[in-house]
Amino acid sequence: MNWRIKNNLGKVVSVIILVLGLGIVLIPIWYMIITSFKPQTMIFELPPHLWPRTWTLNNYIAALGKDKFGRYFLNSAFVAVASTLLTVLVSSMMAFVFARLQFRGKESLFYLFLLGMMVPPVMLIIPQFLVAKWLNLFNFAGLIVVYITMNLSMQTFLLRGVFENVPRDLEEAALIDGGGSWTIFTRIILPISGPGIAVVIINTFLYSWEEFAWANVAIKNTNMRTLPIGIALFQSEHLTEWGQVFAASLVALVPVVITFLIFQRYFVQGISTTGLKG
Amino acid sequence: MKTRRGYSDLIPAVFFLLPGLVLFLLFFFGPMVYSLRISFFNWKIVHPDQSVFIGLRNYLRALSDPIFQRAVMNTSAYTVITVTVKLVLGLAVALLLNQTIPGRTFFRVAYYLPVITSWVIVSLLFEYMFNGQAGLINYFLKNILHLIPKNVLWFADPILTLVPIVLLDIWKGVGWAAIIFLAGMQSIPVELHEAARVDGANSGAQLRFVTLPLLRPTLVYLVVVLVIGGLNAYIPFQLMTNGGDPLDLTHSVLTLMYEATFSRIDFGYGAAISYLLTIFVFFISVIELRLMRRRVT
Amino acid sequence: MKSNRFILTFVSVLTLLILVLTACATPTTPPTTQAPAVPTNTQPPAPVIPTNTQPPPPTAVPTKMPTAAPVTIRYWHTHSDAEAAQLDKVIAAFEATNPGITIEPTRYAYSDFKTALLTAISSGDVPDVVRMDIVWVPEFANQGALVQLDGTLPDFETIISDVFPGPLATNKWNGHYYGLPLDTNTQVLLWNKSRFEAASIANPPATMDEFVQDACKLTDAANNQYGYAEGGTYFWAPAPIFYTMGGKVTDEGITTATGYINGPESVAVFTLLKDLNDRGCLSPNLLGGGIATDAGHAEGIYGMIIDGPWMVDIYKNNYPDFQVNFAPIPTGPNGTTSSVVGGEDVVILEGSKNQEAAMKWAAYLLSPDAQKMMAAVGQMPVLTTLIGDSSLPPYFAVFQEQLKTAQARVPHPRWSDMDNAINNAYQRILRGDQTVQVALDQAATEINALITGP
Repeated sequence: MNWRIKNNLGKVVSVIILVLGLGIVLIPIWYMIITSFKPQTMIFELPPHLWPRTWTLNNYIAALGKDKFGRYFLNSAFVAVASTLLTVLVSSMMAFVFARLQFRGKESLFYLFLLGMMVPPVMLIIPQFLVAKWLNLFNFAGLIVVYITMNLSMQTFLLRGVFENVPRDLEEAALIDGGGSWTIFTRIILPISGPGIAVVIINTFLYSWEEFAWANVAIKNTNMRTLPIGIALFQSEHLTEWGQVFAASLVALVPVVITFLIFQRYFVQGISTTGLKG
Repeated sequence: MKTRRGYSDLIPAVFFLLPGLVLFLLFFFGPMVYSLRISFFNWKIVHPDQSVFIGLRNYLRALSDPIFQRAVMNTSAYTVITVTVKLVLGLAVALLLNQTIPGRTFFRVAYYLPVITSWVIVSLLFEYMFNGQAGLINYFLKNILHLIPKNVLWFADPILTLVPIVLLDIWKGVGWAAIIFLAGMQSIPVELHEAARVDGANSGAQLRFVTLPLLRPTLVYLVVVLVIGGLNAYIPFQLMTNGGDPLDLTHSVLTLMYEATFSRIDFGYGAAISYLLTIFVFFISVIELRLMRRRVT
Repeated sequence: MKSNRFILTFVSVLTLLILVLTACATPTTPPTTQAPAVPTNTQPPAPVIPTNTQPPPPTAVPTKMPTAAPVTIRYWHTHSDAEAAQLDKVIAAFEATNPGITIEPTRYAYSDFKTALLTAISSGDVPDVVRMDIVWVPEFANQGALVQLDGTLPDFETIISDVFPGPLATNKWNGHYYGLPLDTNTQVLLWNKSRFEAASIANPPATMDEFVQDACKLTDAANNQYGYAEGGTYFWAPAPIFYTMGGKVTDEGITTATGYINGPESVAVFTLLKDLNDRGCLSPNLLGGGIATDAGHAEGIYGMIIDGPWMVDIYKNNYPDFQVNFAPIPTGPNGTTSSVVGGEDVVILEGSKNQEAAMKWAAYLLSPDAQKMMAAVGQMPVLTTLIGDSSLPPYFAVFQEQLKTAQARVPHPRWSDMDNAINNAYQRILRGDQTVQVALDQAATEINALITGP
């Protein structure tokens, strides 16, 4: 009984702390939201007000109404989904090797892959462009292959840690039944690693959705441009329509929020208990 | 290398590794070697065959440049501060969010929101909030808390400029660290906590003896990734200091690299700076991994 | 769990709504900004590295040759939305009189344009024609990325005889011209009429002496009001005052900065600005992170600023109730006014496979028709013949008048570093780290190193 009271008290305190912290966390976001409803004249008024004195929907109408916005949105969606799925597949396969299989030079190879995280991506854009040109991989294909590549190291690293934590007893059972590596991979490791895979999905989706530098140069067909480029185009040299930029950016947040919502439920304690029950 | 089964897993390994390896070689390793090569030249972009080989001269030039040295200092200080704070706050938030409290999903989404905002937008917002003459922060500090006599010109001071940049990174990154911690906590079997509680451990002891040790892989991952991210900081620095203002004292290593490559069209020098950063990052990461990685029994 | 599903449904419905909204709002106009869907690899495989190592020797001016196969010219630019729409009309007019040539424009965001350009150039897969910032032209020319136009572009001499000298000078490097001026602008004085009236000043200052007096008369630090503000310490900001007072960065031939950037006129300029700063008449925002000049001017915080013609659009959008007033830059000790030239040049990239057609397009952009069409969206023409033309927006007048005396910044590949040297000197001066002369002497040394250096 004593423990349960303490536990509930702890939860109440936690909620209070979280709410307080929420204030700090959400102020900039709140600011983005109200600014997107402000007319252009009040975007950067000084001193700043936390509640708009005039509301307008014009920014949303103008931003979303720009003839290409819908297309940029869909382009980004396609690229992000494809990149995410393929990254999960490729990086989990690679992580499986490092977590479970053995061969000479494994660790050295792993460190080599880790290099992929350590090199500033911007340094590679020009040679990557040369490779893309050589293989004629531009627009969507060009984006997807590079996005997968740039995420490989980080996600493989993450998943290796996750896979290593999967108890080996489960595999013994499969091995006795005559299962090979692929069976172990698909039937045992993957299902148990829900939270890790969820993180990979969220991270990769976010990366692909927001990436700008490569998309800026690799997309040759302006109809295939992605959302970050579209939003950047709201800015011209002297005049930037900030209200529209904010409105468009908020709309751009939505798919990532959805992805997060869908996959964050895998963070619930209890789903990935040892799995030995039944 | 003997395995449990008595033979090398090389063949299945190759099969599993192949797609990643191909992509990696084509789009990462190849470009990396290309960039490395460029760093030894005075590179001409239109007629690369006319580039002049200058050996290590780009590297030496960077290392002896006071602007580069300052950039390294800025970037290092920024990394140390932001990573430490993000780890501590991230863990705290994750612990709070790991309980079954009402509105848990709402809190998770709310704390993760900063992570998915666009760097460009929030850099702008923070710049706005820290405006030297009429920003929100100054208003708060001066008119409400009465902590400062006059408005602080944040962006006019080479050191104070780093404050909004650091705060921005922390604000944006805590949620990300928290989510990774949260995912890591899921692999700690509930039975262990139960057992600890039965043995009389309170929350603090549980944290020390159950949670933290089992979170070690997550912690390792986070330290490595966050440090790399910190050393590679570019957008907030670029947008809030416009490339080193004032007086080239507020560069990060990458804003300097960007300026060299895309502003001054000195590709060789830019590549050298990138490689110096890469080497530094590599060594730091290896040290971190060696220090922290141990198999969890 | 229930709240989870609710949030999920709500957000999904919201997304669906947004998608529907954008789909409905999408006008079904035929794609005008895009040539008929061209697959990405229609160009014959080009060598990665262009093989010609020297700019083409000036040939005799080619006579009009019959155009054989239909040709597509890729034109990259950073126009705003409104300007890009107008550009489509210019393209239509050109294509009507040049059958066989299609112009394929691509719009880039200004902030990342240089990166995209450099990446394209590095790969050898370049656009044919580019509208680029004037300060980039010597840089790209020095890299060998631009086609020399004098001696190769048909009627080159005739075309340039009609343009403003300042904008034209921005295209010259190493004795040759690597671009044509396309649109130009300059900076003039903006004065806040109500602030002037409140301080009982009837007219904007005509001389720099009056300017200093007015700046301090208009200052009321207690009420957060300043007489004058600059956007920052980059050279573009003090440049008009610099030039009007007779300052020069280097000599004509760009051989040295000694005696120029640290010469008496230049010292006088920065002494004047430092003086204004010390007396509190110059807003401290220029050191970094303060209220922007456009906002501050409209809100009456800054009595005077110096800026360009884009302010008309900016104020129309952001401060529609504000009446902007322009005046020429006050005259310097010589009794003459001057200012700084900005704008864009049109260049043709080496590696373009359709140089002839590209030149036709570039030349067309300088025709009175094209220049007038773009003037309607705020692009100031470079043709002297169009000064005072009735079709131009009325506010162009003061700028075009100023353009007669406006000067180009140093057309040198290392200009951005020279700018940085002056920027840093200005900062040190304002902060009191160095005296004006010492700071400028340092700038002169740094600039000299850039002129002679690699």
